[in-house]
Amino acid sequence: MPTIEVPKEKWSGKVREITLGATAADGGTRAKTVTVGGETTLPYLHFEGDIPHPPAIAIEVQDRKPADWSPVLLEAWGDVTEDPAAWAKAAEEAGADVVMLRFSLHDDLSAEYARETLRVVLDATGLPLIVFGPGQAELDNDLLVPVAEEGKGEKLVLGVCEDKNYRTIVAAALAHGHLVDARCPMDVNLSKQLNILISDMNLPLERVVMDPTTGALGYGMEYGYSVMERLRLAALQGDGMTQQPMLVTPGEEAWRAKEARTEEGVPEAWGDWAERAVNWETLTASALVESGADILVLRHPESVKRVRAMIDALMSN
Amino acid sequence: MALSGLEIYKLLPASSKDPEVKKHGNCKECGFPTCLAFAMKLGQKQAELSQCPYVEEESKAQLEASAAPPIRLITLSGDGHKLEVGNETVLFRHEKTFYHQPGLFVRVKDTQADAAEVAKAVGEYTVDYVGMDLTLDGVAVEADGGDFAATVAAVKEACPLPLVLLTEDPVTAEAGLKAAEGIQSLLWAATPENWEAMAKLAGEYKVPLAVHVDGGDVDALAALAEQVQGTGVEDIVLDPGVRDHVSSLSVFTQLRRLALKKNERKVGYPLIAFAGDDPVLAGQHIAKYAGFVVVDGFSPGTVYPLLVMRANIFTDPQKPIQVKPGVYEINNPKPSDPLMVTTNFSITYFSVANEIESSGIPGWLLVADAEGMSVLTAWAAGKFDAERIAKSVTSTGIGEKLDHQRMVIPGHVAVLMGELEEELPDWEINVGPREAVDLPNFLKMQWG
Amino acid sequence: MPCGGQGRCGRCAVIVQDGTGVRRRSTLRLTSDDLDAGYALACQTVVEGDAVVTIPPQEKIERRLVTDKTATQVTLPFIYDPVQHQPMHLVPVELDPPDMVDQTDDWSRLKRAVATTSDVSDLTADLPTLRRLGTVLREHNWGATAVVEMDTWDRPNGSHRLVDLLPPGSTDHLWGAAVDIGTTTVSLYLVDLLTGEIAAKAAEYNGQIKRGEDVISRIIYASSRSSRNSDGLGELGSLVVGTINELLERAARRAKISSSEVYKMTVAGNSTMIHLFLGLPPSSIRLEPFVTAINHPPPVRAGELGVNVHPQASVDCLPGVASYVGADISAGVIGSRMCDSSALTLFLDVGTNGEMVLGDCDWLISCACSAGPAFEGAGVRDGMRATVGAIEEVWVNSETYEPTYRVIPNPKLEARGDPTPPRGLCGSGLISLLSEMFITGVIDKGGHPNFDLGSPHIRQGEHGPEYVIAWGDQTEHGRDIVITKVDIDNLVRAKAAIYAGFTVLAQSVGVDLSMVERVLVGGSFGQYINVEKAVQIGLLPDLPWERFIFLGNTALQGALLAVLNREYRQQVSEAAQLMTYLELSADNTFYDAFTSALFLPHTDLTQFPSVAEVLADREGQSVT
Repeated sequence: MPTIEVPKEKWSGKVREITLGATAADGGTRAKTVTVGGETTLPYLHFEGDIPHPPAIAIEVQDRKPADWSPVLLEAWGDVTEDPAAWAKAAEEAGADVVMLRFSLHDDLSAEYARETLRVVLDATGLPLIVFGPGQAELDNDLLVPVAEEGKGEKLVLGVCEDKNYRTIVAAALAHGHLVDARCPMDVNLSKQLNILISDMNLPLERVVMDPTTGALGYGMEYGYSVMERLRLAALQGDGMTQQPMLVTPGEEAWRAKEARTEEGVPEAWGDWAERAVNWETLTASALVESGADILVLRHPESVKRVRAMIDALMSN
Repeated sequence: MALSGLEIYKLLPASSKDPEVKKHGNCKECGFPTCLAFAMKLGQKQAELSQCPYVEEESKAQLEASAAPPIRLITLSGDGHKLEVGNETVLFRHEKTFYHQPGLFVRVKDTQADAAEVAKAVGEYTVDYVGMDLTLDGVAVEADGGDFAATVAAVKEACPLPLVLLTEDPVTAEAGLKAAEGIQSLLWAATPENWEAMAKLAGEYKVPLAVHVDGGDVDALAALAEQVQGTGVEDIVLDPGVRDHVSSLSVFTQLRRLALKKNERKVGYPLIAFAGDDPVLAGQHIAKYAGFVVVDGFSPGTVYPLLVMRANIFTDPQKPIQVKPGVYEINNPKPSDPLMVTTNFSITYFSVANEIESSGIPGWLLVADAEGMSVLTAWAAGKFDAERIAKSVTSTGIGEKLDHQRMVIPGHVAVLMGELEEELPDWEINVGPREAVDLPNFLKMQWG
Repeated sequence: MPCGGQGRCGRCAVIVQDGTGVRRRSTLRLTSDDLDAGYALACQTVVEGDAVVTIPPQEKIERRLVTDKTATQVTLPFIYDPVQHQPMHLVPVELDPPDMVDQTDDWSRLKRAVATTSDVSDLTADLPTLRRLGTVLREHNWGATAVVEMDTWDRPNGSHRLVDLLPPGSTDHLWGAAVDIGTTTVSLYLVDLLTGEIAAKAAEYNGQIKRGEDVISRIIYASSRSSRNSDGLGELGSLVVGTINELLERAARRAKISSSEVYKMTVAGNSTMIHLFLGLPPSSIRLEPFVTAINHPPPVRAGELGVNVHPQASVDCLPGVASYVGADISAGVIGSRMCDSSALTLFLDVGTNGEMVLGDCDWLISCACSAGPAFEGAGVRDGMRATVGAIEEVWVNSETYEPTYRVIPNPKLEARGDPTPPRGLCGSGLISLLSEMFITGVIDKGGHPNFDLGSPHIRQGEHGPEYVIAWGDQTEHGRDIVITKVDIDNLVRAKAAIYAGFTVLAQSVGVDLSMVERVLVGGSFGQYINVEKAVQIGLLPDLPWERFIFLGNTALQGALLAVLNREYRQQVSEAAQLMTYLELSADNTFYDAFTSALFLPHTDLTQFPSVAEVLADREGQSVT
């Protein structure tokens, strides 16, 4: 009986390998580093290429107890949300590969505050860190520059680095040995353009993760999904400006959705709140794993478990 | 393989070598202004070859071959409920679109006391998502040593949706098929051992038949499908027998590629997947190429996100990306905070919303229904005019949330100011900047 | 040195008479003819031994640079034979005076006379002509010259219309006009239909501009029912007729005739302009499903439109293809001779809208994209038309970031040897400026000015970042001439829309842009665009320069061919029929191609190998 030849793609490109965090040997203080990227094929098609590293799971920790988080989330974490150091430790215990420290928007933000908060979190965990500002370009600059100085040598991922503030963030990353999270609003071309602009400032692309902007399930998830598939295809086809590992934030986006956030006034057909909410985050994340995410920032410990199980399953070969 | 517009054009009358045919070139009888325009529509599958009365036989054969769907369309039906699966043409949704959503089935066993109850719940389940009614597609009844025919009959009675009959025993299968007469079910499954008997049943009862091999053996699967097809059963569904994440991703991808890129007819059929009680695996099957996804258990808190995921993945990416028209609150606005107007093209919305959000200025964003066009395009096409803006102001009742009656319109449509003042006589219309990036500054300077 | 010694501006060209001792590093600016003649760029040349070098007079360099902005004169693609080609004829007649024996009426008498000297037997005439008949015949002793229209496109077998009756021997000219109504600029040729010679040319801004810069604004103005504007359609019609009359007047004065001696007028223009000119409501053009009132309008009498040619003259508006691909394009396709060859050709007409046609002698596919008026100097802070005082070329020094520019000179000042102070930037100046700013790093690939360079020319202006090209003490109006970030974004959007049009057009038929063998450039770009700069900003595809052919106003040329030759008039109709229109608004791939092109030169640099080379070169130089 003639055998059917299974078609294999011969890709010429490879996703860049990027290492987050630095141990003492590399001039940092992290207990371990995390390397992502390096894929030479589409997600988890082990039969035609290498997937050298599983995607990393980052757990989001905020500088103070979030005012706008769903009770489902706050209950899951308990008291640690009062203290970023304790929270970071709990995140590590919950199975994070990386901790994301996010500054929320409040009146106490200052350069000094940013340095201190970073310091306590660095001291509390040995995991590599991603540090995000509150998401307002100018304020982000004001916080991330001192963060970059304070964390010199730690190979932090600084975010978000956008079209309008990339010069400042990239300069800070260049000066103090960090990485940047290059975020564009769900567009293949814009993502590529930002990578080019950053690379033109001479930040090595080994220090850039790209962030195509995440849409939650039901709220534009599929746009990000397709943009990621296109970026990954372009990367594998050899387009050097799309070969960055991709960071996504399904935790933040999914928990912003009404489906995850609230119980009040929702249709009965939506089912059990906690079940639905965790599913919302998990399914958003898992779709993005399928489309090539390399770093996933999650919020709920149960989602972390489930996404971890999925990643383990996809990596077992 | 699909032909490009220009390749098709070379086969149409305008390009014919025969002067008798060529004289009909660009005749417009197909309803398109030129042969090339028709060719391009054919290429996009938005026209039928039969619309051209003059196409030559030889060209016709070539064009029909290229247009044949590489994955067969399979239809199931219940009591007034129809499910179509297959006819997919791409591996990635951005390349065109995914056409037919996979059927989502809930599995019950014939030993399960509440099988009919579950079936009833499945049949009745419907949930609204952005104006669409999302529903499940049916029930998969598994023969597990109980009374299969009775369970099938009870399920059919309780639920108007199509069924999948899960048994590899031809005798049980026939009992089930009898019980399910009157609807179009999917019979699972023919195996290398039982295929002749199962194919016979599929032929007799005129139902699609799933062929099942173990362990993702593509060769065995293709061979089995070919054997079944040889008996005259055309409607085939493939089950390569993989049940975990990584091998189903690989095998499903390989089968889809074989059908689409290698034009391998032996595997040109939809796939069936069993996700057990793992919603994440079900999600993977939805995104990665299953035509039928069978899950265990029915729970709205899991089914709803899966249905939304399916709707998202099967959204046509060629359609302009829209956000829902309405009022968006940014940075927790107070009644005294500014009101800005824009269109519901998602990129437009995102750039405006992002600018305001990242500036920290609280504000109300009124997104008018401009059919998913950007400000200038919508204005040019008459989809973003004074009348429409006025309509969204009234329909959203935004006025009641504010303690002022003042709105900022995009600078690109400054010309609408006059008409808008006529439409909304109580409102003060301010012309904002042309670019979203200038909004924060504008608000700081002009508002207050 | 304008470019800072990077071999980009070509201003330091010298002639090496004994070339053994020199090594040329870059000859980017020189043609192979130049090289044969011994030219070298001084800044790019290493002297390794003895060499004899001549410095050519500066003026010669200046002129050489001007010539690379290729402009073509109008040459007819046929030898003009008015008898064979022209439907308008002058027929001299001698009538037998009536008497008591032959009491035939004047009109029958004239018809009989015309029939004996020509083969026109069934002459017709409009009432105003008939009213003057008797007087003319009697005043000139029954001799006359009949102006006869033999046929029109819609009546190819003959209209045989007496347009006017002139005194005998009163003229040895028969005047016609070819007009292109652009959204921004209206241009006109006054042509002698007996010889095919152009007697005068005139161009002026379209008077409708004050009612909106682009077609959409005009359509909305024409259709709006606000109290302040009860008859927008009528007003826009009068405005454009006014402009045409002014041009007729100007051209007639130059030819020392009266504009009422013009007996035929052929008009090209986009669909909206034709609608407004004819007084047809244009509102359906902009609304789905985007249809015009009429694509092939019949000829009408000038008197009905108020055009100041002879009132009985036919005004023939050329046919269009679709709402956004109008008669200017079908005329342009003929004017550019694009269908004469089997070579894959891209025809581009950039005005306020960018329209483009891809195809060969067998097929044509067209699309339109809204580029906006930026390249015509409108919608840009210091933009202006390409007239006296406009900066038409800019160089930026790559070390000091100082700009140098060339201004379209005022002949009077030039005669005195005085420089012409600049007033603003025209389209070619803007293209050149954008390219120079980009290549030298004044702006990055995203168009953001780089403040880190520390140049006083890069500053924070009232409307955001800007770059100063000329300080106020050098300009005519005493204000700084600048380009703002908003201007840059506008220009980038305009070029992106046009390039995206190419991309989608090529994609839609499955050909690659690099397969294009000829690029014919018409429209307002056609005369004064620098290919190199236009490629560097990603406006034109990166093809070998010799594939670009600049044709000037092809719509006007098409109108000229159509007014002269009925076969060409027929070809315009055929082109309009043959052309397939691709509606970009129905096409999501356009958006993708557009955002991809919203970068300098393009997100995909591999599509611009020559630009990649220049950038790599710059990188290399800044490192050394």
